[in-house]
Amino acid sequence: MSLLETLLSGQFLFAALVTGSLYALIALGLNLVYGTMRMLNVAHGDVVMLGAYGAYGAFALLGVSPIVAAPFVAALGGLVGYGLYRGVFRRLLASSTPASAGRLEANSLLLFFGLSILVQNIAALAFTPNTRSVASLSDVWHLGNVAMTGNRLVSLVVAGTTCIGVAWFLSRNIAGLAMRAVIERREAAFIVGVDVDRVQRTSFVLGFASAALAGALVSMLEQFSPFSGFPFTIAGFIVIILGGLGNVKAGLLAALLLGAIETYGVALTSANLRSVLLYGSFVGALLLFPNGLFARRAARR
Amino acid sequence: MTRSSTRRAIVFATLAALATAPAWSQADKPLRIGFSMARTGMLAMATPSQMNTYELWREQVNAKGGMDVGGTKRKVEFVTYDDQSKPEQAVRIYEKLITDDKVDLLLAPWGTPFHISIAPVLEKYKFPMIGNTAASVALRQVKPGYIWFPTSAIPDRIGAELTAMLKANGVKSVAVLSNVLPFTKEIKNALEPELKKAGIAITVSSEYPPDIKDMTPVLTQIKSANVDAVLALAYPGDSVLYAKQAKELGVNAPFQFIAIGPTDAFFPKAVGAASADDVVSIAHWAPRADWKGSQAFYDAYVKKFGEDPDFLNSALAWMSLEILEQAVAKNGLDKEKIRAYVSSTTFDTINGKVKFDGVQNSITPTAFVQYQKGKLQIVWPASIATGKYEPKKGW
Repeated sequence: MSLLETLLSGQFLFAALVTGSLYALIALGLNLVYGTMRMLNVAHGDVVMLGAYGAYGAFALLGVSPIVAAPFVAALGGLVGYGLYRGVFRRLLASSTPASAGRLEANSLLLFFGLSILVQNIAALAFTPNTRSVASLSDVWHLGNVAMTGNRLVSLVVAGTTCIGVAWFLSRNIAGLAMRAVIERREAAFIVGVDVDRVQRTSFVLGFASAALAGALVSMLEQFSPFSGFPFTIAGFIVIILGGLGNVKAGLLAALLLGAIETYGVALTSANLRSVLLYGSFVGALLLFPNGLFARRAARR
Repeated sequence: MTRSSTRRAIVFATLAALATAPAWSQADKPLRIGFSMARTGMLAMATPSQMNTYELWREQVNAKGGMDVGGTKRKVEFVTYDDQSKPEQAVRIYEKLITDDKVDLLLAPWGTPFHISIAPVLEKYKFPMIGNTAASVALRQVKPGYIWFPTSAIPDRIGAELTAMLKANGVKSVAVLSNVLPFTKEIKNALEPELKKAGIAITVSSEYPPDIKDMTPVLTQIKSANVDAVLALAYPGDSVLYAKQAKELGVNAPFQFIAIGPTDAFFPKAVGAASADDVVSIAHWAPRADWKGSQAFYDAYVKKFGEDPDFLNSALAWMSLEILEQAVAKNGLDKEKIRAYVSSTTFDTINGKVKFDGVQNSITPTAFVQYQKGKLQIVWPASIATGKYEPKKGW
């Protein structure tokens, strides 16, 4: 296949969008939690994994399609986020002063890391380490010369609209604006009367809900096991580093870019180079644009 | 008396009672059988079909009153540890099982690297163990003596037999798609020279990493090459990805081979029964009337676990247990006698007769199976076939 054919192929564009939108949805939650609280949730991918099991459970026990179960799985994820915030992190954050913020960042990393291992192994005990996958919406649709299975199309639509919805929330809704204020100038937001605790709680709930939603989508797209969360965490990290830590909208663009790099890069070289392409662009971005590819605002700070 | 000294007195009394209790006779003591299994880590998802088979066997043996140890029946008890998917951990576990737990017999862990890593331990303590879920040309490098491999799915023989099967079914051109992990890479290295020798054109040959998430680029290439056969040398995870995306993109070569995955019960569930139908894969077992116990094993497994056994790994695990049972019934627990017996005897198993030549099974032929109406049938070679190969008519 020639270079031009590859670049113009609708099939590749679709593949890049499906991959990119899923990355975007996963990175979204990671970024919200990091942005508002400066905590890197290393267990984020495990929430995705649990979301996938939630959708699988609904399918296996109740016969409900993952796409119907998705909102409930997301709500459940949000509830878990709420509980975790109230139970563990609010106290941690309340006791932090600007001086101890660095320590909190390190501590939260360890805490989430421990949580991640705990969740994986409990999931392995509870669900067995068998791989699962849901065969749902697997009819093939044709749009022009692009073939797409229902589940990939649905994944693209759901992940895409959710990301756009959250972006809208952050730039138009008053609660979203408050969240952005906390992300960009935490102390200033506090001084002008933003309820920081509430913003943090909301971002925790949103972060976990979006991860669980991504999990419900993953359950239709690929196989998963209790140990398949970590690669999602890594993908999320690459995206938010590319886009700039805490910069949610840039993260969405970075996710699409990463999806494109992966699809077109593999098409033009070899599938064996997938990891090289992904991590290469990650390292390259860190060296050339340490504040993220779209860091205009951060540079002026 | 204070409370703590009362407690101490009770402990001492109990210990003393235990020490003076009459020694149990051998027959009352359970037979302890040890093994390690990847229960966590990246291989954990692959081990249940083997672990289930062990569990089923223990249940059946104990229901019959125990395992026959040179004429005496003894109940079976498992001593098992998680090797966390790390071969070096398995080495420590087998040392511990032999020297510390002092188990009576050993069963195999899951997977080739684990078998190869523990072989020197078995050699060192002169402890015989029948392997099962290991397949690699590297097995031939293992020093014969205390370990045996009942599989016939060795990559170089797969290469030759698959080529013969393709030729017999009129395939002129193929696309080879290979995961870079060792087993599939070995198959690829053995297969491609055989294909060339047989005059079959390799139109596309591509490799991919184990963590692949999207095969659109390479499958688009394969689709436009319009080949007679796609040989997807995939592991369980990517076998499902291949099947799903081949359906999406309409990769409709009539001969669809997927190396590992389709023989496990999860496959038709994950891709849908219609998609799984007519997919060819590697296994040398299926329930057959003239393989005694094969149907009974299949039925018991389905009854207990509610799904089909893995036609490759579960069958191999069961074969290894059958061989061990026959050897121990004849020789008791004498390790040297067991070794000599296993090395020279022809065994009856659910996979027909098995005889070891060095470390390898010299009787069972390398074979391929195909899903036909939701059931796996052996379709190659004709000598043990249970069904006839059918070209795949779309996904």
